This record gives sequence, structure tokens and C-alpha cells, in this order.
Amino acid sequence: MSNLATIDKFENVQVGAPIGPEQIFLSKEQARRYARACGLDAPRFTDDEGARKEGLPGMIVPGNMSLGLLTKLVTDWVGQSGARIVRIGTTYRVLVQPDHTISLQGFVTHIYPEERACEIDLWIENEDGERMVTGTATVQFPK
Amino acid sequence: MVDYDPALIGKVFEITEPVTVTPEMIRNFCEALGETNPLYTDEQAAKNGPYGGIVAPPAFAITFRNGRHFFQNIPRFGRSGFDAGKDVEFVSPIRPGDQVTLNSSVKEIYEKTGRSGSMVFVVVRSTLKNQRGEVVAHIDHRFMHRA
Amino acid sequence: MPTILDLHSHSEASEDSRAPVEAYLNWIRLRRQQLPLDGIVLTEHRQWNPSSDYRALEDKYQIMVLKAAEVETDYGHMLVFGVNDDIASRFDFANVYLPAQELIDEVARMGGIVVPCHPGRPNVGLFEHYQRKPALDNVIAVEGLNGGSRKGENERSAELIAKFGYKATGGSDSHLVSLIGLCATRFEAEIKTIEDLVRELKTGNYEPVDFRPKRPQVRRAEPVEESEHRG
Repeated sequence: MSNLATIDKFENVQVGAPIGPEQIFLSKEQARRYARACGLDAPRFTDDEGARKEGLPGMIVPGNMSLGLLTKLVTDWVGQSGARIVRIGTTYRVLVQPDHTISLQGFVTHIYPEERACEIDLWIENEDGERMVTGTATVQFPK
Repeated sequence: MVDYDPALIGKVFEITEPVTVTPEMIRNFCEALGETNPLYTDEQAAKNGPYGGIVAPPAFAITFRNGRHFFQNIPRFGRSGFDAGKDVEFVSPIRPGDQVTLNSSVKEIYEKTGRSGSMVFVVVRSTLKNQRGEVVAHIDHRFMHRA
Repeated sequence: MPTILDLHSHSEASEDSRAPVEAYLNWIRLRRQQLPLDGIVLTEHRQWNPSSDYRALEDKYQIMVLKAAEVETDYGHMLVFGVNDDIASRFDFANVYLPAQELIDEVARMGGIVVPCHPGRPNVGLFEHYQRKPALDNVIAVEGLNGGSRKGENERSAELIAKFGYKATGGSDSHLVSLIGLCATRFEAEIKTIEDLVRELKTGNYEPVDFRPKRPQVRRAEPVEESEHRG
């Protein structure tokens, strides 16, 4: 699991608390490994030339992989607290291309005290600080 | 305004054959994401965890493919289609040995303009169930077509 | 007394936002030092809801919540301030091809004001439309600073503003709670109502303000495969 800060219990969740940031170098090989694991065999996910033939600037990271990485950011944050992610929504704004450093991060933005749940803003940033993928997630803590 | 048959909305157009989840599939998925959480990767640790055994990471739910004819069944508007995003509700964990089916229907169609020009969004709602008929996840896929 | 307002934001009423209005206000309250806002304006996409009422939230958080709309036209996206029954029945806000000149003129006649937003954005900003079509008449202000803009877009907006002498506003264009208020507009006059806002946009003095934090330098991280093989 990541070395980033985790939350131990609902009572310690605070609006404004950061999730991450986690910076990773997303290599072509890792992107291909994801595509293979998920049966995504379209050329756009496996090589630059294949992607260009589809009118893309080069190989791209599957949108599902971005969602997977953001989900992992949240499950790493909840750690051993017993909380679980119950919902995530993502919007793919800019193509994510491999062989770049990306930053995964978020903030706790809202707490639902009766439900013992919280809402989180999430995003993936490129090296220029541009948000390529944005989204939100809901985390449910044990009742 | 975008023109489509309103009868499309809500009509289930596909139910897939069951896919059996293997430990290898979960392991490959975890490795691809750099996932090391013992709940998903360590049999012994997972036995003592809340699920009593290994479960797949939540995002594994979106790896189930729609059927071969899925894209033929989605209404198409204009040229090219892109995955514009997803909303996923994780309902139940997925375990090795589970057999997962998807049923899909068109939830919504809407038009808007943006950086890419005129776009039509087709939102497909997929519901995943396991062999016990339990809902595993609901997924809203947003497909963007450029006019 | 000056007033600072985020003139462009989307709540969960917009299909691409999940931000509850209360969460926006709570966020601003908790970040008062970084976000010295007096209020926000909700500019939901392609719709107008006359009955949504945020007075209880305004009282609770002591932050103004005004309502406007973001509509789509043949010259790109535009913010409509001062929407009333006449304007709402004259124009179908769900139409993504509204006639921009007619919108600008009729809304002004009916007591509101139209402010083209993110004018530097491809396809839906004035800058690109002006490359191939005559400039619109009677535009008073455009959104000079948009928090959702990508590289070069705000710069193109600045170029347009300089060329045509438009006034400039600022807004976050937030669809996420944590982005509210990062760009806003500072008005010299006091604004307490939507009527005040429309008056000031038409004849007042204002400028965009930028509350976005400076980004730390991003260093290239190690490839995942290499670090996994260390002990």
C-alpha cells in the first residue's frame, strides 16, 4: 500500500483534509499491463503507431485505468479503518498519455454525519498542473 | 436538438454470458494497478479481514466487458465515440469464483457543446450481478459522440 | 464597500457537477483567508430553475448565493445574469444553438445582461468564432479569467479583451467543491442582490481576481517496476 496518510476513523475525517497527493510515473509497460489484464486490445492502448492510426497523438492510458488509480487512492486512504468506497464518478477531460509523471490527489469536501459518510473530490494532474481526469467519490465508514 | 426514438430509453438491450472471476484475474488486475492492499492480494491476511477472504479491488467491477455486439446496440450520433467518464456504485464485493453478468440499457441521451464542438452523450447503465442474483455494481458509462 | 463574487459555478443541478451548494459555502467558510468571497453565482448549464431557494444557506453561512445560467449559442457559451420570467420564456435554455446576438440584445432589453464565458476556449469561446464571423454588437464584458481554462485559453481571452475593449470578469467555472472561488470578480461597489449585480456588470467597475495557489514543482517519479524490485 502507499506511504501516504490514512484515516483511522470517521470521527477524524475533516472537510479540507487532503487525500494524497501521490505522484507516479505511468509507464507504457504499466499501461499495456493494465490493458492486457482487462482484455483491452484496441491499438490505442498498446502502441503509439496503432494509436496514431486511430487519429490520436500516441498511445493513451485507458480511462478505466485512471478510474482504477483514483479508486486505489481512496482505498489506500481508508486503510484499515473498515470504511469502503461506495461510489466513484470520473470525467475524462484530457487524454492521459503514458511515460509521464501524474499526480493523484483529492480533498474531503463534505461530511454526512448521520450516514457516517464523506464526499471526496479527486483528480489526476499532469506535469503542467492540468487536470486530465476529475471526479468525486463517496466513502462509507462503519456504522 | 438531437433526434432519437424515446422508446430506446430504459430498454435492456443486452445481458452478457456469465464471466467467472479467477484468482489470476484479480492478481493481474492488482499488479497492473500497483495494488498491494492485503485485502486484495494476501490470502491469509484477507481471511482475517472484513470479507473473510480475498476480494477484488472495487475498480475491478469496471473490467467486465459488454458483449460483442454492445457497440452495435448503442445509438450512434455523428462520428467517433469516446469514453467520456463513468459513475460507478460499488454494491457488493467480487470474490474469486463469482460468475458475473451485465445487463445494459440506455439511461439517457443529451446534447451539449464544448471544446470538442457539438457532442451527443449516450449514457448506458450497466448492472452487474453475481451468480446469487446479488447486485455487485451499477455503472453509468458516458459515451461521447462528436457531431 | 467592494464585493468579491465567484461569477461562474455549477452545483449538482448541472449534469456534470456533484457539488452540493452547501458544500461550496462550507468550503468557502473554512478557507476564508484564501477565499475572501462575499458570494457565489450559480450558473447551471442549459437550465433555469426559478424556485430554487438558497436563503436558508445564505443565512447559515453568511455568504451570498445568486442565480444565473450558462447557455450555449452560435457564438459559444454565455452567462446570463438577471434571468426573469420574460427571459426564461423568451429563450429555451436547453437549446444548444441559441442565437447569440438576439440573446444579448433581448436579455438586455428585458433587464439582464449576457457575459460570454471562457472566450478563449476552442469551439465554445468568442475568440475562435470571431476568426470567422462578425463580432457581436453590444457586448459589455466577457469572462477574462476562467478557473477551468487550459493553457493559452485565458491568454486568448486577454487578447480579445484588449482588442475590443471589453470589461473582464472572473469565475471559477467550478464543478468540484474544492475549486469554488479560485477565480472571482472584485467589484468596487457593494452588491447585495442580482439587480445590483446586473447594474454593476453593465456600468460599474470590476476586475477578475485570482486566488489559485502557486503549484509546487512536479518532479519526475520513479518507474513503478524499478522501485518494486528494491528490498
